[in-house]
Amino acid sequence: MNVLRAWIEERLGLRAVTLFLEKKEVPRHKHTFLYYTGSSILLFLGIQIVTGVLLAFYYQPTLAEANASVVRIMTEMPLGWLVRSVHSWSATFMIALVFVHLLGIAFTKAYRKPREATWVTGVLLLGASLAFGFTGYLLPWDELSLAATKVGTNLPKALPVVGAWLTRVMRAGEDVTGDTVSRFFIFHVSVLPLAVMAFLGIHLFLVQRHGMSVPLEAERKGVKVPILPFWPNFAFREAGVWLVLLGLLMTIAVVAAPGIGPQADLMAPAPEGIKPEWYFLFMFQTLKLFPARVLGLNGELVAVLIMMAGMAALFLLPFIDNRPFARKGKVITVLAWAAFAYAVGMSIWSLL
Amino acid sequence: MEPAVNGRLRVIAAAAIILLGSLVASGILEARVQEAPQASLKTAADNAQGQETPASPRPAKERMAVYILLAWVWLSIAVLLGILRMRVREADRVYSMGLDRAAEKAPKGPGH
Repeated sequence: MNVLRAWIEERLGLRAVTLFLEKKEVPRHKHTFLYYTGSSILLFLGIQIVTGVLLAFYYQPTLAEANASVVRIMTEMPLGWLVRSVHSWSATFMIALVFVHLLGIAFTKAYRKPREATWVTGVLLLGASLAFGFTGYLLPWDELSLAATKVGTNLPKALPVVGAWLTRVMRAGEDVTGDTVSRFFIFHVSVLPLAVMAFLGIHLFLVQRHGMSVPLEAERKGVKVPILPFWPNFAFREAGVWLVLLGLLMTIAVVAAPGIGPQADLMAPAPEGIKPEWYFLFMFQTLKLFPARVLGLNGELVAVLIMMAGMAALFLLPFIDNRPFARKGKVITVLAWAAFAYAVGMSIWSLL
Repeated sequence: MEPAVNGRLRVIAAAAIILLGSLVASGILEARVQEAPQASLKTAADNAQGQETPASPRPAKERMAVYILLAWVWLSIAVLLGILRMRVREADRVYSMGLDRAAEKAPKGPGH
């Protein structure tokens, strides 16, 4: 065993990594639980990759076969329905944790100098996660996914100059067709994973480079925060959290496995009760409530522009709130709470 | 580590291995049940006719097999959590006593 270890070490030089992990320390305070969200996102990403590969063995991204292949996965493949359910639910868990992670960082102001780039890559990862959800939603090619994708890909159309072009690029044509399924599949299994790997690599490097942030109060008062060695003290705790999350995921995947609707019919009218995935509900409801015309402008355009402004503000938050780390930043806290309450309220309203 | 703690760890580790082994075995058995023809489930062709496909297997035997699998999963998690709890306590104790730092400062023998 020692010979093998020496052989590997000579070629890969992993000792530097293990030394780094041995020396790594985690601050211990009332927000320590937020550190678990980051690693748990990685856990669910790993599950997504494994179950996604298993599903890709049988899934066929064509107009004629997309729905039928998902039905085959669910009915003919051993435990295929469970693999699909775990894939679907782990996506939900992952996106929920991404939101919690992001909100936690916004509330603790951990995005401030020197962690601006960490925040920016984090927001890009949020965008990629949502894009995964959006592209994955169409793949079963049932009535509901077709209708929801039509609504979703129609949104950019409201934008001047680039809107129509953007919609055409997303749909691979003028309308949602079999070509859209192929395009979404390529994005889902190839383009987005590559983007996530790149952003994640930078994000993780920056997290290690700057270390974990400590609470504002401790920073302001100059109090030394107690620490916990990453290995093994924190890593074992993290493993416990992972196990509980895995159990919860398996339970929900078994108890509430997603079904699949009838194959999409391009000629059929949109079915009633079209709803996107839960993480798009607040946007969906906002669009529904917007009047057709606002101050003489197209209401949809105004809504899209407001959403884009919100996304830009989120992306540039560290540069908007660029005060020293020790400052409280109550306005940002209030705004973060307001945004959270708005998203939850609109989502619930949409479900009623 | 004390011999009593060592012995207890070994017993728990053995129990965990047995549990995980039986979990894998039961998983293989359940997969075989899944492989059996499923007359109660609809085929891909039926779905094209405009009907919804059930999300999970309907026959009572299969449902039961999956719930048993789930029970095994939770049992294994409980055992592993127990082991982790002991390891965390031990690691915290070593850290609070400063033994890890003492080990770093200790002079290394030949060959190190």
